Amino acid sequence: MSFFRRLFSNQADPKSPPTGRTAPLVDTPVNTPTPSVAAPSIPEVPIVDKPLRPTAELESRSVNGLGTGGLTDGVTRPLPQDALIDLTGNEHLAFGQATDIGMVRTNNQDSAFSFFSAARSAFERPDFGLFVVADGMGGHHDGEKASALAARAVGAYLMDKIGMSLLQGDERYNEVPITEAMSDAVLKANADVVQKVPDGGTTCTAVMVIGDMAYIAHVGDSRAYFVQREKVERLTRDHSLVERLIELEQLTREEAEDHPQKNVLYRALGQTDTIEVDTLTRRLPPRSRILICSDGLWNQVGDAKIRDVINLHPNPQEACSELVKLANNSGGLDNVTVILLQLPG
Amino acid sequence: MPETKQFMGMEGDGRNDTSLKANVVLQNRYKILGVIGGGGMGTVYQARDLMFTEAKRLVAIKEMQSVVTDANLRTTMLRNFQREANILATLSHPAIPKIFDFFDLSDRAYLVMEYINGRDLEVILSQTKELPIDKVIDWAIELCDVLDYLHSQTPNPIIFRDMKPSNVMIDALGRVRLIDFGIAKAFVRDDSGKGTMIGTEGYSAPEQYRGEAIPASDIFGLGATLHHILTRKDPRLEIPFSFHERPIPNFNPTVPSRMVSIIEKSLAKDIPDRFQTVPEIRTAFNELRSRPLSMPYATTGSSGQPQQSTNFFDDMTVNSDGDLGGLQPKWKFKTEDEIRVSPTVYRDMVLVGSYDTNMWALKLDSGEQVWKYATRGGIASSPTVDETNKNVVFGSEDFTVYALDVRSGRISWSFQTKDRIRSGARIAHDHVFFGSDDGKVYALNVLNGRMLWAFDAGAPVRSRPVVTEEIIIVPSATGEVYGLSLSGQRKWTYRTRGAVYSSPYFEPNEGSLFVGSSDGFMYAFDAHTGVSSWRFRTGAAVISSPTENKGLLYFGSADGYMYAVNAQTSREKWKFNAEKPIVGSPIVHKDAVYFGGTDEYFYCLDANTGKERWKYKTGGAITSAPTVSNDLILVGSLDHILYAFPLIN
Repeated sequence: MSFFRRLFSNQADPKSPPTGRTAPLVDTPVNTPTPSVAAPSIPEVPIVDKPLRPTAELESRSVNGLGTGGLTDGVTRPLPQDALIDLTGNEHLAFGQATDIGMVRTNNQDSAFSFFSAARSAFERPDFGLFVVADGMGGHHDGEKASALAARAVGAYLMDKIGMSLLQGDERYNEVPITEAMSDAVLKANADVVQKVPDGGTTCTAVMVIGDMAYIAHVGDSRAYFVQREKVERLTRDHSLVERLIELEQLTREEAEDHPQKNVLYRALGQTDTIEVDTLTRRLPPRSRILICSDGLWNQVGDAKIRDVINLHPNPQEACSELVKLANNSGGLDNVTVILLQLPG
Repeated sequence: MPETKQFMGMEGDGRNDTSLKANVVLQNRYKILGVIGGGGMGTVYQARDLMFTEAKRLVAIKEMQSVVTDANLRTTMLRNFQREANILATLSHPAIPKIFDFFDLSDRAYLVMEYINGRDLEVILSQTKELPIDKVIDWAIELCDVLDYLHSQTPNPIIFRDMKPSNVMIDALGRVRLIDFGIAKAFVRDDSGKGTMIGTEGYSAPEQYRGEAIPASDIFGLGATLHHILTRKDPRLEIPFSFHERPIPNFNPTVPSRMVSIIEKSLAKDIPDRFQTVPEIRTAFNELRSRPLSMPYATTGSSGQPQQSTNFFDDMTVNSDGDLGGLQPKWKFKTEDEIRVSPTVYRDMVLVGSYDTNMWALKLDSGEQVWKYATRGGIASSPTVDETNKNVVFGSEDFTVYALDVRSGRISWSFQTKDRIRSGARIAHDHVFFGSDDGKVYALNVLNGRMLWAFDAGAPVRSRPVVTEEIIIVPSATGEVYGLSLSGQRKWTYRTRGAVYSSPYFEPNEGSLFVGSSDGFMYAFDAHTGVSSWRFRTGAAVISSPTENKGLLYFGSADGYMYAVNAQTSREKWKFNAEKPIVGSPIVHKDAVYFGGTDEYFYCLDANTGKERWKYKTGGAITSAPTVSNDLILVGSLDHILYAFPLIN
């Protein structure tokens, strides 16, 4: 019962309108008392950092005998243990960012943008982060201009629409769904590249973190990975010809490795006036990480190796530097850029 | 036009304009008149053959210029070019331009051929609004003729490999001419690994990217070319091999369904699913031509095209009219008025409210009545069973929430609000949560109905609240979605642009919440903060409550479609057209989606593909969700009847 009591005695949101009809928080004694509904008074148990999970018995009460399969809407099922990060505490996301020209190229056409804020005040604003990797293409400095424009446009648009709104405490951030705003930001960046660098193009992978939610927008073959101690999961789909052939089971991953057209993208910023932007939403469990990188990393370093390096370096900046070094030691055929986000827990 | 770009990545990629100027004479014979085409690695010139002094004989000269600096590779490529030129020199077909000469000069190779006075299909596309279908069929047949000729060469068939609109010329006489004989292809190998390119060929068959080229590859290219000119959707701007995602009738309803089938078959990604030889596909086109083509194709409609799209999907077995094929309900139970809400199963009983004011308790296996309880208003609230106290809880339009003993139907407690109740109740944390048309959300003690709190939403609340460990989510008829703490305090608000009658769905693993609105969107939220992550647009109000299974979100819309959408990306997986608005909610059971429509049908679809498995016609619209229990699926209809169908697997 302590969980129930604790939540029911939560402080009200200072902004909520007074609800005069709300009953007192103390349950009045009833005529037919049963042991299980003793009137709550002052919590006797110490309040712990994480809400206690009610027992499974409680959860299953409104399930209509069908088990917890796809039939019930599952509303009273518990979240998995430890699935939620305690964001009221003093632990926050940490991140690292590193880039390098590589061993072969004469210029660095990658661009990166990172921003993170954590606030503690009565306003209870969630932690906010915005991270972008863009990998430009095109000769005569067009590639680096295109990626720089894209990173800047996406960063600026989303800082304005979401970041500043969260800071100022208005509700503008929720006017359009987050992934829609991110998609708009990428389209804005696309328009900038088409207009200002007509012969250039760029990939763009952007990750926004609000609290423990990650929102991802993506075009091209830079990647976002979800990394946990044991596993690496790719969150984005490369918009490349070979990836598409693999999806259609027309090519094996091995055949794709040294395919003559492995660098052919079918979608990138700067190509046409309209592009389709992939978006994705993910809740981030404690201690998980998100890696954003250009193909200069994943073409040179395998998933398992990436995971090992990240596991070995608890400091995300060190991990980033190490990943860049590894890419260079494996040939460094391309520019390499990495951003690593590390969730607390 | 510049749909594709090639980026070498390195600075100074060696692409400088070195095309020949007018009046330059090559080999003392060909006087350059101007550039007529080019791009990529070569230029095509129009030239005059000076050998013929009397007649003005025009030729086309194709220049091959390689950016490759590696001497060995250059030699190989030149040899390929020569070999292809030699093959071409042996060909004789009216649709193939004649080759006159071949030579190389410094670092370039030249091919002299017949000059064709005409326009290629890409140009024609850009200069027209619509092409007559019978003309397209004629072109298709002529292209088949020339492909058949190439494929019949001995000892080895010649595969064209590069069928696309820009390689098909229509000459001054209206005849098809195939140009650019894959010669360029030998040269178009990017300098591997150095830089990223944007843009794909768009027309080539998947196997060609494995280095295979067979007659069926040209059939794919022909299909891709026809698909482009009929839909006017350039495949180079789309996801590669996604033709079937752009069905021809969606862009061009005048194309006969049989022609659509031929093109879709030729575009199958797997070789065995295509026409295997050109004569096969030519026969198909010929049959098309022999039919009267002036009939209104668009109206050949539903009955005339049953096989049209089945080439791309698993062919589920549905008998022709999609009826249940003799399968009948195990039992039916007729109440005295419309059944507007969902039944609930409790052990061996099923409980269903009817607009006849009664809550009915029936035996699950036979549909026999166990008890009924009369309220003073119609019941438009789905019952919920409180398993701890063995009560069934529901609201009535007599403003009252009832808790009845589920075994006997005797009243345990009741609670009166100030208006009609059309919201289902949610039981969690030992409390009952429900909304009323009086604009409030109530939390009552589940044991005795005593009110703990009420939250004023300011407008009728007709959907069943979601209650998680930490939050209660309640939408209102003015479009707001409220996140409340368990003590009834507002934590967040999200405003949709239409009334919300759809019950939210909570996905516990991700903590995501999904809710449909009358503004036509399905919204996804973080349940804890109310931050919206995406919305999905349908063509009309979403009143149907969503359900999620294996990462897919299912919901109906008043636009007549049932949708399956990826819950993380909001990408549409499939939609099913029920013709009339869908306001009832779907459920998923064992890879099947069940729902009812206002077209009076009860549907069963494959959850993965959206293909219809069966449907059953009731006597009225279905506005509620079905319920599955053991081997039965139960659904109520506005024809007053509760149907219990056996589950067939």
